[in-house]
Amino acid sequence: MTTIDQATTLLEREPPISRKTIVIMGRAALAVLLVIGWQAGAETFGSIFFAYPMDVVRRLIELTVSGQVFVDLYATLRVSTIGFVLGTVAGVLLPFLLRRSKRWTEAIEPYVLGSQGIPKYALAPWLILWFGIGDTPKLVIVTAMVFYIPFVNVFAGIRGVDQRLVKMARIVGASETKISREVIWNSLMPFFFTSLKIALPRAVSACIVGEFLVSTEGVGHYIEHARELSDTVGVFAGIVVATTLVLAVNGIVEYLERRALAWRPTDRDMVL
Amino acid sequence: MNAPLLEVRNLAKRFPTRAGREPSPWVIRDLTFAVREGEFLTIIGPSGAGKSTLLNMIAQVESASAGEILFQGSQIGLGDSKAMRPGLDRRVGYVTQDDNLLPWRTTIDNVLFPLEVQGQLDDKSRAHAQMLVDAVGLKGFERYYPHELSGGMRKRAALIRTLVYDPPVILMDEPFGAVDAQTRMQLQEDLLRLWTLGRKTIVFVTHDITEAILLGDRALVLTKQPSRIGAEHIITIPRPRNVKSFLTMPGFAEIYERIRAEVL
Repeated sequence: MTTIDQATTLLEREPPISRKTIVIMGRAALAVLLVIGWQAGAETFGSIFFAYPMDVVRRLIELTVSGQVFVDLYATLRVSTIGFVLGTVAGVLLPFLLRRSKRWTEAIEPYVLGSQGIPKYALAPWLILWFGIGDTPKLVIVTAMVFYIPFVNVFAGIRGVDQRLVKMARIVGASETKISREVIWNSLMPFFFTSLKIALPRAVSACIVGEFLVSTEGVGHYIEHARELSDTVGVFAGIVVATTLVLAVNGIVEYLERRALAWRPTDRDMVL
Repeated sequence: MNAPLLEVRNLAKRFPTRAGREPSPWVIRDLTFAVREGEFLTIIGPSGAGKSTLLNMIAQVESASAGEILFQGSQIGLGDSKAMRPGLDRRVGYVTQDDNLLPWRTTIDNVLFPLEVQGQLDDKSRAHAQMLVDAVGLKGFERYYPHELSGGMRKRAALIRTLVYDPPVILMDEPFGAVDAQTRMQLQEDLLRLWTLGRKTIVFVTHDITEAILLGDRALVLTKQPSRIGAEHIITIPRPRNVKSFLTMPGFAEIYERIRAEVL
């Protein structure tokens, strides 16, 4: 076979299985490994240490049939969504406002970044004292946990905007508002979506931890309740529900990102 | 002769001196020239001669250290960067070295961008934009994103984005710098054709002597730093000019030699 023949065969040969199939198979294999490891853990250490996977599945079915899981999912989703929206809106708006004034930015930024050091969960008893035992203390925690992610990312995005594009827009007569809306906003879309991808799971997990501290329902409440009863199966079932929730939420973000950033050049080899 | 449309008098520029360093040198000093309405003026200067700085000052995106700029006889605020009006209220268009197309907008939406922000988007202006798109051979590529276009196509899109809102003066900063020789000739031809249609006032900066002669009615030669106008050449080569056969143009070789002697 000559080199050219070889090259042609290389080009013409269809891959036996598509990339997508390989990825899906890989994911399935990892899931199987995870379950096997889990099962092995349960058999080695006993069901107090690790709940048996089958027991967890049975519990999940029970929870679904009784509708309990939906009550808890709704409670968790409600608080984490509202907190997420509040935190994101604030975390996006503030950098946009500060963009206009370098002095204000320099004055405010250390306070914002410094407040990141406040351990929010440690404040829980006081949050309850201040806001009662309803959704509000959890909302405060979720909002505070989410806020910094868009704030830091959007700020980085605004600072990274191609100034030549801004200059061009000014020359053709665009107002500062138009520049914010068109040039800055679109330039920082990739940063915005990066922050969404980190912030959404963070909102869900902050809400669940908040529910450990104060709640009457929710995925976190279910886990905490099971923990108090030393119900290992319940804790594991709750963890599975929480993980599934985060995966689902992430799927939505990725879908939105693909639609919003359709203009970006894509590396075709990376498309799944 | 008509009063000049744009006039630059004793313009000077030096960048701020950093603490603990020698005072910054003058990049531009005592630079004076004028452009008549409908004139195609080319300015030739070696790299580092402050060509971009000069155009930035005229376009009001960079402040001047001294001197005056007059548009239709009235003075433009210089110096204070807060008082600057980039693009001089859309009276000065600027085609920069980089195309600066917005990557999230398609070709046509990039071309329409100035009309959109100026609130001038209507059926008539859309038709005008489409005419320009067709004139530079971008028909069929209206819905493409910039990263899907070739370098030459991007240059064309950037060029007509400025032409579309019809500013009285257009500044061009080596707009055809980063393309291959073939595409460059095509772009020069396109530009000359569009210019013949509209007879805009153009200030075209380049380091390429051939380009300066081919395109211009008049060519100015910048000196080395600090830059000022070193020489002026009226280019009498009759129009329409055929970009591809410039060597045989009457008088081309002679002007070329004269300018080359001044630049080197």
